[in-house]
Amino acid sequence: MLRNTADSWGAPAKLFHWVMAALILAQIALGVMAASWRVSPAKLELFFWHKSNGMLILALVALRLLWRLANPPPELPSGMAAWERAAARLSHLLLYALMIAMPVTGWIVSSASNVPFRIFWLIPLPAIVAPDEPTADLVALVHGGLAVLLALVLSAHIGAALRHHFVKRDAVLERMLPGIRRAP
Amino acid sequence: MKGIVSVLGLCGVLAFAPCPAQGADWKMDPAGSKLEFVATFEKAAAPGEFKEFDARLRFDPDKPAGSRLEVTVKVTSADMNVADVNKEIRGKDWFDYAAFPQAEFRSTELRRIEGNRYVARGILLLKGVKQPVEVPFSWTASADGAVMEGELTVKRGAFGIGTGEWAATNVIGADVKVKFKVKLRKAG
Repeated sequence: MLRNTADSWGAPAKLFHWVMAALILAQIALGVMAASWRVSPAKLELFFWHKSNGMLILALVALRLLWRLANPPPELPSGMAAWERAAARLSHLLLYALMIAMPVTGWIVSSASNVPFRIFWLIPLPAIVAPDEPTADLVALVHGGLAVLLALVLSAHIGAALRHHFVKRDAVLERMLPGIRRAP
Repeated sequence: MKGIVSVLGLCGVLAFAPCPAQGADWKMDPAGSKLEFVATFEKAAAPGEFKEFDARLRFDPDKPAGSRLEVTVKVTSADMNVADVNKEIRGKDWFDYAAFPQAEFRSTELRRIEGNRYVARGILLLKGVKQPVEVPFSWTASADGAVMEGELTVKRGAFGIGTGEWAATNVIGADVKVKFKVKLRKAG
């Protein structure tokens, strides 16, 4: 089943979710390590993978958004409080916004700092802003701040999924797992 | 053309044929001259430039045998377009500005390859290391002087540019392309 239904996610939506979950967790680890490593070939290597992975995530989130717009998500379980629905909507909105804002601010830092870069050694990354050190420093701060926000929203997202499964005992987590299909 | 060259070859033998000696002296016009280099970072070109350098040349395009090319480069004028990189390359692992602020090339032999293309063989002194290099260039005469242009590839490791952990070439490549365009005017 490819398309989402009223109570289940289709395979493409699940694939997007879990592939991007893995890439984003790796991305946060790479970013933290790249930023904190002493200047060395290893630091440059970490930045290379962080930037390449970031551009991959940006491309995937664009496809994922298109897929989501064409495939409305399944409904939230009945019986959720108004604040829970609002929190779910807000956190999903924030996750999408951050999946775009993180790579875009990273791209701006890369362009402003004027460091030459080929995505996965292949595609030269075009500059989206002119080289300017103050811009690079400022947007790097924004990028770091948004990363903290992303970590908070991700924690809430994971916490809520576990709460749905273990406390509320509904199907919200289960229906996103691969291979599990709810009876109609 | 061949006729002229062979006539010039007879100079000194025939009393009436004056020798062109070692050719004319040329000096560089810094405004029209550029010395660039391109390193690589994860297979992406990382360009830079030495903003201050000087070339002195004694050269006769038709009789390059007695010619001499001398270039001095103010290594500390290097600019790689990235603030953090410019800070790093000053250090001991890279150019070591404090100990080796200047690089030099002195030709030992200059000859024509064909047409307007020549090659200067000589010694490059960079970061205290002397290595033989070949500098190929083209020579284009103009009304107010001449332009010599060319490029060569040097191995950064041969000169100790990038030592210690930076000697590995998987992140910062081994080859550095050097490109030059030198505008010259006849001296005096």
